[in-house]
Amino acid sequence: MSRDWSGELVSCIRGADRVAANAILTDWAETRTYEEAVTHLLTPALEHFGKLWADKGGETSLAQGYVAAKVAEDLIGRVLAAREAEGRTVETKLGPVVVGNVEEDYHPLGRKMLVAFLRSAGWEVHDLGVDVPPEVFLDKVQEVDARVVGASAMMFSTAKNVVGIRQEIERRGLTGRVQLAVGGAVFKLRPELVQEFGGDGTAPSALHAPALFEELWQRSLSLDSVTK
Amino acid sequence: MKSLERVFATVGGQPKDRPAFVLNLSLYGSKLAGIPLQTYYTDSKAYVEGQIAVREVFGPDLLLSPFLVPAIGEAFGSEVTAYKHQVPNIRRFSAASALDAMKIPLPDVDSHPRLMYLRETIRILSARYQGEVPVVGVLVSPVDIPPLVIGVEAWLDALLSEPDTARALMDRWTPFCVDLANAMLGDGATLIAATANFANPTIVPPRVIQGIARPVLEAAFSSMKGPIILHHGGALLSPHLETYLGLPNVAAYFVDARDSLAEARRGLGEAPVLIGNLHAPSLESETPESVRSQCEAILVDRAGDSRFLFGTSGADVSLATSPEVIQTIVDTICLAGIGAS
Repeated sequence: MSRDWSGELVSCIRGADRVAANAILTDWAETRTYEEAVTHLLTPALEHFGKLWADKGGETSLAQGYVAAKVAEDLIGRVLAAREAEGRTVETKLGPVVVGNVEEDYHPLGRKMLVAFLRSAGWEVHDLGVDVPPEVFLDKVQEVDARVVGASAMMFSTAKNVVGIRQEIERRGLTGRVQLAVGGAVFKLRPELVQEFGGDGTAPSALHAPALFEELWQRSLSLDSVTK
Repeated sequence: MKSLERVFATVGGQPKDRPAFVLNLSLYGSKLAGIPLQTYYTDSKAYVEGQIAVREVFGPDLLLSPFLVPAIGEAFGSEVTAYKHQVPNIRRFSAASALDAMKIPLPDVDSHPRLMYLRETIRILSARYQGEVPVVGVLVSPVDIPPLVIGVEAWLDALLSEPDTARALMDRWTPFCVDLANAMLGDGATLIAATANFANPTIVPPRVIQGIARPVLEAAFSSMKGPIILHHGGALLSPHLETYLGLPNVAAYFVDARDSLAEARRGLGEAPVLIGNLHAPSLESETPESVRSQCEAILVDRAGDSRFLFGTSGADVSLATSPEVIQTIVDTICLAGIGAS
């Protein structure tokens, strides 16, 4: 009977056991590559866990989500190290996108989880860190030619600063071309704030962000083609 | 009835003239008193001036020491950012890991300026309102101190992957937390409110709760010389009450705005006080009409609950909230008292 690698990885994530999860990745790589693990091990495990997260939100914990992100980050780190050891350039398939915590927000955990899941899904991510003013978001967007901005905020008081990013997008004439994804605890608690503060979309968790970014990227392309 | 009598009647499940209530107007007092936040959160007399205004304008049955947990992080060396319109927040942590945090000298609860600021507000408020209004000393439990000193990520790393280090840190910091709580009680606080997020199943797995968090809470709370309000801290409580039941000295549970009050009461049984659950930060988007209907729904739901205390859940009522909305909450609660009598 073959080993249920993905099932074991999901079990480790549900147990919030990063050490055991990494041991599984090491075992896997004895006969295969870390790159294959992204497709054949991590992706199905995260899809499985993501479904649990969406279906049983109240039964999943911050620690489980954190470990899922760390496992993704750990694996991507191994992939990059293996590529560099082989002299291969690091390639990303999707993006670029820009993410950061909104101005005055100093809660990085959710954003770091977002970055880990986006990178594991193949996105080129420019992470600006915490307390990012609107003009810094948009300067980076224009520098790297990104179509999606991910703005993270934990509390109501700081989430209001998403409005400033929306205004900066409009001020620079990038409405439609640049899509604004918002996320954080306050948007889960009060989903109506996504629209109220000028967001174009949100996701139920950081794990679901890659699908949201893909949707927004496609929306940007379609809106951009209409205006040209 | 005086507020103190109303609160004690609630604790004892006795009749009272109206439901007792607590509003998180810690921040809002600065607006009422016209004091800049930079002064308000550093000068204890300025804070007290704001809370006197809160009491005179809205008449809550409990007054709060500063809802300012970053000050505890500051006492351990973290740096905060001050804002014009919101509570200060931590921008730089004092240490990178639980292991590094072990080396931080414990702040002296009797001399550290930030802790003395918190304590002095209690001392002045309790002296002014002695025998009239209970004063709540706002704290975090030991399991919630590390996020203020090393950040959530590093604390999760320790709890999940280095449990011995996490336990050692708790062994070192629990006596500090107990000393601060007892100092606040000695200053005149009637109750201590403490969060315990890192003992909540929505945050950490059962092995952390059973192996680290619950034993820490038992040790800390059993040494505190006064009643404790277990505050939800932003996490759901009602589905997870079994995690907290039986903790020493916990007299009241302050639940999240998303919690079901009925479910919480079923989980708690009759004895503890149940507090909640209007979401304070959302009040700035409400109208007097909308908030009245929310208050009425809560009061109807808890009509027969003699140990229910109406409260705003979550963070502070924001400065952008209209005074009319807050006054409507107060009026609705007082009207419920008239209806009940």
